[in-house]
Order: sequence, then C-alpha cells, then structure tokens
Amino acid sequence: MSFAAKSRPTEPGAYNQPAPRGRSTRVRRQRVRAAWLFLTPMLIVLALVAGWPLLRTFWFSVTDATLNSMEGANFIGFENYLIHDAGGWYGLLADPEWWNAVWNTLYFTGVSVGLESVLGIIVALVLNAEFRGRTLVRAAILIPWAIPTIVSAKIWAWMLNDQFGILNHLFMTLGLIDAPLAWTADASLSMWAVIMVDVWKATPFVALLVLAALQMLPSDCYEAAKVDGISPLKVFFRVTLPLIMPALLVAIIFRALDALRVFDVIYVLTSNSSSTMTMSVYARQQLVEFQDVGYGSAASTLLFLIIALVSIAYLYLGRRQLGGDT
Amino acid sequence: MTESRLTNTLLTLLTYAVAIVMFFPILWMFLTAFKTEQTAFDIVPHFLFTPTLDSFKLALAQGNGYWHYAFNSALSAVASTLIGLVLAVPAAYAMAFFPSKRTDFTLVWMVSTKFIPAVGVLIPVFMVYKSLGLLDNIWGLTMLFTAMNLPLIVWMVYSYFKDIPKDIIEAADIDGAGTLQTMVKVVLPLALPGLASTGLLALILAWNESFWSLTMTDHKAATLAVFIASFKSAEGLFWAKMSAASVLTVTPIIILGWFAQRQMVRGLTFGAVK
Repeated sequence: MSFAAKSRPTEPGAYNQPAPRGRSTRVRRQRVRAAWLFLTPMLIVLALVAGWPLLRTFWFSVTDATLNSMEGANFIGFENYLIHDAGGWYGLLADPEWWNAVWNTLYFTGVSVGLESVLGIIVALVLNAEFRGRTLVRAAILIPWAIPTIVSAKIWAWMLNDQFGILNHLFMTLGLIDAPLAWTADASLSMWAVIMVDVWKATPFVALLVLAALQMLPSDCYEAAKVDGISPLKVFFRVTLPLIMPALLVAIIFRALDALRVFDVIYVLTSNSSSTMTMSVYARQQLVEFQDVGYGSAASTLLFLIIALVSIAYLYLGRRQLGGDT
Repeated sequence: MTESRLTNTLLTLLTYAVAIVMFFPILWMFLTAFKTEQTAFDIVPHFLFTPTLDSFKLALAQGNGYWHYAFNSALSAVASTLIGLVLAVPAAYAMAFFPSKRTDFTLVWMVSTKFIPAVGVLIPVFMVYKSLGLLDNIWGLTMLFTAMNLPLIVWMVYSYFKDIPKDIIEAADIDGAGTLQTMVKVVLPLALPGLASTGLLALILAWNESFWSLTMTDHKAATLAVFIASFKSAEGLFWAKMSAASVLTVTPIIILGWFAQRQMVRGLTFGAVK
C-alpha cells in the first residue's frame, strides 16, 4: 500500500499533505477510481461517434464497397489508392482530379489563411485604438463570424449573382469593371470568389485573437519606443509582432484546420465545379454521387492523414519557434 | 502634434471603412429581407424603398413553417449542450484535479478527433443511423452535435478548472467530503461563470451547424440549416424570402453572441487565448 505512495512522490496532483499515510493512500486510490469513472462516459461517446466511424472509413478504403453493396464488400488491398493494371497506373494517387482537389485545397488554405492573418492583424490594430463608437464597430466587425456558414454562403451567392448581384452593380458604378462578372461560374474567378467569402467570414476570428493578445501587451515598450523616436512601422515589426506571435500562431492553426476541411461554403457557391473542388468536395462526390464508397473512403482517409500531418508538423515547428513555451 | 492628429483621423476613417465593408453583407441581407421579390430583383439595386413584411410572411410559411425548424434547432442545440456538459464536467474534473501520465495523451487524442473531416465519416455514421432508425430523428442529430462539441467543451471546462486553486479540494478532503460531493458542492459553484460561457458557445456552434443537419435530417427533424437550404431557384424568385429566413435564423445568434464575445475566443482556441 505505502509502496504505491512512495514510488510516485512527484506525480502531479498527488497531494502529500501530512495526513496519516493509510488515509492518504485510501484517498488516492479512491481518486484514481473516481478519475476513471469520470472519464469513461466521455471517452465512450467520442470513441463511438468519432473513433468507430473513422475506423470503418479506413476499412472501406481497402474494399470495393459501393453504396448498393456495403455488406458484400471485398478486401482489395490498396487498389483504391494505387494499382498497376494493363500497362497503366490507376487509383486515387494516379487520378488527376484528386491531385487537382489537393492542389485546390492547399491553394485555398494558403491564400485565404494568409489574407486572413494579414487583414486580421490590421483589423485588430485598428480596433485596439481608442475612437468614438468602438464597441459598436467591434461588434459589427465580429458578426460575420458568428452567423451560420450556410447563411453567409447563401447571402454571398445573392450578392455575387451575375445579373442582379449588388457586387457587380457596385463595381460597375465605381468603374472597376465594364461588364458584369460571372463570379461563381467563371473558372478563373470562382476560386477568388470562395476565397473572398472565406476571408470575409474568418478575418474577424483572427482579429479577435490578435486583439486579445494586443490588449495584454505591456504599454511601457511603446512608451520607450516613442521616446526613442523609432518609426511606428519599425515598432510594429520589432516589438508588436513578436509579442502577438503566439496568439497569431494559434489563430493560424485553427483557421488552417478548417480551411483544409472546407466544404459548405464551396458546395453552396460553386457545387462540384472542378476549378474550386477541394478534397472534402471530391470525397463527397465520390461517396454520394458516384456511390463509390471504397474510393471515396480512400480519399477521406488521405484527407484525414494530410490534416493530421499538417497539424503535427505545425505544432512541432510552432513549439520550436516559440522556444521553451512547451 | 498635428501630424499625430492627422494619423489618428486617418486611422479612424480606416476603421469605419473596414467596419462598413465587413458589415455590408449583413446590412444587405437585412435590406433585402424587407423587400418584395420584385424590388429585390431590380437591375438597379435599391437602398431606399418602402419596407414590407411580405417576405417574412412567406418565409415563415416556407416548408413546414419557420417555427418547426426553429424548434428543432433550439431543441438539438440545448439538449446537445446539456448532455455535453454532463459528460464533460466529470471528465474535465478528473483530468484537472487527478492528472496522471495518461492525461496529456487523452487530451491530445480528444482534440485529434477534430481532424476528422465530416465528409470522411459520413457513410459509416449514415449506415449506423439507418440501422438504428436514427435518420431524421432529432435525438440522433443531438448525439452528433454532442460528439462534435465534446472536445471543445471538455477542453474549456478543463481550462476553467485548472484556474481553481487545488487547496480548496484538499480542504474539502480533510473535511471528509467525497469526490462527487466535492465536485458538485465545492468546485462547480466556483466554475459556474466558466460553465455558463462554455454552454453558450456550444449552443451557438450547434445552432450554426449545417453539414450533419443537411445530411441526417430531412423533414421531421429538419433544423434551420435545412430551412435555409430549401430556398432554391427551382421554386422561382426566392432571394427576398431567403434573406428574411436568414434574418430570422441569425438574429438569436447575434443576440447570444453579443453576450458571449470574450468566451467565444477562449472556446474556439481551446482555451489557448484567455
């Protein structure tokens, strides 16, 4: 009994209060039991609703399952991923459509998260200043992010409408364009249209995080910089940016995770168009429209692995860059 | 001195410009909602017009009627939040106050379920739901919302519990209170503000969910996401009606969001930013 207590004296959360040893061991054992009892329901629910379906998806990805014959699916190894047959390579990894979706997703993620970071910082800096009506302006800027994606996607579909949309009208009135643009139908524009909508919706999120960090900065840094007559731009890059970096990195990883999985905004605005098809849209098309569960599951599996890989790499690099903040 | 005043004025103007650009789509939604389909479709968009409630009347009657969808959205959001809290509080309590070597692993595993693309698990979930008869069932949807928000709720509650000094638990121990008693009578009252804001955030996220609502429900258990998606060009002119429906959908969230601004930051970053 006392062995257990002695062998883990530095375990965090073990309170070595000067109570009689017998009682403290009993309390600890009771705690371990309670801890498991408390954790189990949550673990079971997550395992059932998230873990189990994910394992099923892995399994389907190595079978020839279709929506009509889920039960009679046969194990076919990695043929959904890659197979050499009749002198050619087939499977997901040899599918130009898939690579197009991968490229689109990475492009969408890179550009939209990049823009959101830059604009988010600017908005946060602006909101951090004192001015009349700040509370109201702050709330107005945050609203886009609090409304359902389906609503914002539909509203933008309306604003981007080629004939009756307000955006074409505004741009033409301002003389920016000569003729109405088909924002969501034109292959060269549609990616920018979805990026614009995503940036509009997610910039407030980045701004909110950066603003929270800005408000915790010590003001004496700025006083010192002001006295020394350093230019505001220099102050920003040398003082402000490094200090808000942790918050910015958190914002970027959360945005990137969402952007890599992006589905609804693209599906509502441009449906299955190949110029904006992301990995999630591709997987859904294979699974639901082509009813090819094996192939679609292979795509889903790769999507999951890519996201996991990106997150792990990012967390690793982020931790190293932040140094010591582990 | 004058230079800095000029900079300030410019900065303020920039702020207003940014605010207008960000807010404009919302404003346009509100304006369109008070138009008729014909005014909404004029080639020259109107900013000044005679407002009418016609589109709201039509939107309220769309499909099964607004209140049917709103009730389902409210029920699934409230129920999933409460179930989530009931599951999350003990789990977070265990991890915050009785940490072991496995705690970090549990936390990471929990968050990694957020890497799962919803599309990726659609078919397995759909099949299980079909065989259990949970398709188009409000409790089936509630269960998905619970699982979707659970990692976030656990993490948030965990971060609030971590702020509570451990001495309090020790004191309760010495007084002979049991673990459950300590949690319910001592810790929960202290964490109540945190729990409230966690709940508020989970409520908003569930209300805003669209992917599972659209794929798992159809009629009986359809939520507001299905309501909004039902406005399609197949039914003729619909933009004014859809805008009215959107206004009806986002207004409760904007009001709730107003109260939850700060908490939302904490929640959406898993407590990384306080």
